[in-house]
Amino acid sequence: MTGFKDMTGVPEFLAHAITLEQEAAVRFDELAGMLEVHNNHKGVVDLFRKMAHFSRLHLAEAKERAEGVDVPKLAPWEFKWPGDESPESGTIEDAHYLMTAHHALTLALASETRGYDFYQGLADKAADAQVREMAQEFADEEADHVATLKEWLTRYPEPESTWNEDMDPPVSVD
Amino acid sequence: MNIQAPIKTELTFADYKSDLKPVWCPGCGDYSVLSAITKALATLQLPREDVALISGIGCSSRIPAYTSVYGFHTIHGRALPVATGVKTARPDLTVLVAGGDGDGFSIGGNHFLHACRRNVDLTYIVMDNSVYGMTKGQASPTTESDWTGSKLTPEGPGVAEFQPLEIALSAGANFIARGFSGKPNELVKLICEGINHPGFSLIHVLSPCITFRPEQREYKSMVHDGFGGFGFDDGTPDRREAFRRLMDDDGYSCGVLFKGNTPAFKSPTAAPASLADMERKFAL
Repeated sequence: MTGFKDMTGVPEFLAHAITLEQEAAVRFDELAGMLEVHNNHKGVVDLFRKMAHFSRLHLAEAKERAEGVDVPKLAPWEFKWPGDESPESGTIEDAHYLMTAHHALTLALASETRGYDFYQGLADKAADAQVREMAQEFADEEADHVATLKEWLTRYPEPESTWNEDMDPPVSVD
Repeated sequence: MNIQAPIKTELTFADYKSDLKPVWCPGCGDYSVLSAITKALATLQLPREDVALISGIGCSSRIPAYTSVYGFHTIHGRALPVATGVKTARPDLTVLVAGGDGDGFSIGGNHFLHACRRNVDLTYIVMDNSVYGMTKGQASPTTESDWTGSKLTPEGPGVAEFQPLEIALSAGANFIARGFSGKPNELVKLICEGINHPGFSLIHVLSPCITFRPEQREYKSMVHDGFGGFGFDDGTPDRREAFRRLMDDDGYSCGVLFKGNTPAFKSPTAAPASLADMERKFAL
């Protein structure tokens, strides 16, 4: 992760908010798809689909806020994310074909926490007062998501260390 | 009659994806490369019907099926000659080539040399994980000589690794860069630059195989920006300088290495002889 990068104003902020939710939805769908293909029957596919659905709802909200605003078109590398990707794009390399709901929720929680940190960082440090105000609203919403996921996680405690054992692994070396 | 022009809507990266779900292992770096390719096409707003994506054989070579552009999943090691044919026959198309290190540098190694040398306007994206993943984890041309992860080479392959960037530079590639699948937005930039640069472009991508090379998850802490102390975007047009920078490369430098200025190969615009003339020559 790299440091804080300020926004030039509300239009640029909204460009980030829209892309953040759009990429989160695509990533969660992608995670659901990869686990479906690999026959993960541990409820993880539905969970990721649910996360994708929520991201699309937030995307619609962000787009609504952007109505009438001249949102700039940015190339992927021009975004001012704190890290290498938009904060709520769950990391692909954390996926495993035998992952459980606990792992999926942990991955989603990490995504939402990064989203919260991104917005809260802008709410605390942005030079533009309107950006600070809007970022605070988005951060509060992300804080709710973080709390919800933490609550869900209590229902899915960490599994036994044998969770990834497979008596007939599809990828064994002959 | 009043006919309205069709409304041209902007294509998003999702528009360049097909409905097929990739069968790659969950966690594979190739997902991010697919994402980077579709984002690059969306950034450049290339019409889908004007793009062809050609691949060979291997895990990463499945990629054309996951996109909505024209695709050709060819045979092992032969993606580059097929792509060369496509581009010379249809120079109006943007032709991308994709594959892995085994496909491109082993069975397709000779084609790689000559594709660099011919300098046809292609963008070759190699997803390098230093292993044959599809056949369950054997050493590939870019595998470290002491890698003991395969029962076929229990003491390691024992041979020096193939150096794709050095070979590409020697053979005449006109644009050479390296990216990392864990930094997809940087990869988008490299792919866009490769597409826009005339001639043969090599985008070498470190794309971890989390199944047979789980230690490659550490790539994210090993990659760094720029070759030879220069910045990510500071590619040089000077071949000698590019070689100098490569001598200091630890294999994890990411960014643009070389931006040559050799004009791309162009096929003759007119046929050398009419069909009737040729038929006459072959008449018995």
